[in-house]
Amino acid sequence: MSGLLHTPLFGLLLTLASYRVALLIYGKVNNLPLFHPFIVAAIPVIVVLPLAGVSYSEYRQQTEVLSFLLGPATVALAWPLYRQLHTVRSVWKPVIATTVIGAALAAGISVGLAWWLGAPEQVVGSLAPKSITTPIAVEVAKSTDGLVSLTAGAVAITGIVGALLGGLIFRLLRVHDDRIRGFALGLVAHAIGTARAFEYGEKAGAFASLALGLTGLLTALALPWLWPWVSQWLFAGG
Amino acid sequence: MLDGLLILLLFQFLGEVLIHFTGLPLPASVVGMVLLLLALMFNTPLTDRVAEASGMLIRHISLLIFPLGVGIVLQWHRYQDYALALAMAVVLGTIVTLVLVTLLLKVLLRDRGAVKGKQP
Repeated sequence: MSGLLHTPLFGLLLTLASYRVALLIYGKVNNLPLFHPFIVAAIPVIVVLPLAGVSYSEYRQQTEVLSFLLGPATVALAWPLYRQLHTVRSVWKPVIATTVIGAALAAGISVGLAWWLGAPEQVVGSLAPKSITTPIAVEVAKSTDGLVSLTAGAVAITGIVGALLGGLIFRLLRVHDDRIRGFALGLVAHAIGTARAFEYGEKAGAFASLALGLTGLLTALALPWLWPWVSQWLFAGG
Repeated sequence: MLDGLLILLLFQFLGEVLIHFTGLPLPASVVGMVLLLLALMFNTPLTDRVAEASGMLIRHISLLIFPLGVGIVLQWHRYQDYALALAMAVVLGTIVTLVLVTLLLKVLLRDRGAVKGKQP
């Protein structure tokens, strides 16, 4: 009987069931970011795995098929990006400028803070891609020798913080333009921010989707080249 | 659905092939994404069939990433020494970035907004 705990079936069932229930709860609380399925689904999994005597590395093996699908999911991001390209024909210059500066800020500020507070190289490298959508972030983390779990967790929390506080920040800064709200949420808070942006309307959602795609693409293209330099500069001799 | 999955896997594979031969330090799936985007922009036949499979994968990205992300809790002993650095970098870093990006957009998009706005 206990042999059943050590098959992929167990890990997949636990994950899918937890995630399904979490989605249900998320819908019931009107998509409140604090109850994001990522957080809610984690609770049963964190409780059950130790009880069942399944280690984290074994759980990862059991759920390998889900992680594998992150590859095609990344390729799939080309579709929404392609669909949104027409929405920005008229404003492509500020859009590109914001993407370049914003992606650099998103990565740079986290890297700087973590480095300043004494985190080691591998941890800092794991945080660099935290503002981009998870499948790309995980792929990038591998290229900066980051810890993929840390990256995945940091990405999720970034999205949740961004989506939670976005409304407040836009009110304080008196932003009423849906293009700005959408683009900022998509750039900083990737898919979770994009979901939040759709609550402002289609236009905000379109700009968020575009920002998510462009920021992910730019960070993925730039970070693997830049990271060795940044890392050497920050951690030289260390 | 099947067509879409086939196209996605094919482009990921093309990404792998390109990286294998060029030695680019990039993730294969990201290269695959760029290749697919180019294929779509040049109206390559059949590529628009990715819509359904793409939508499904993207809708459930949280599920796909979940086994990795939950590791931040299940392997907390590996990260607890840097808890402050992590919390500050992730939470404060996100807030500061969001404020700066919003301000930047306000400046950069203002002109356009005025042109397209209600002013005569």
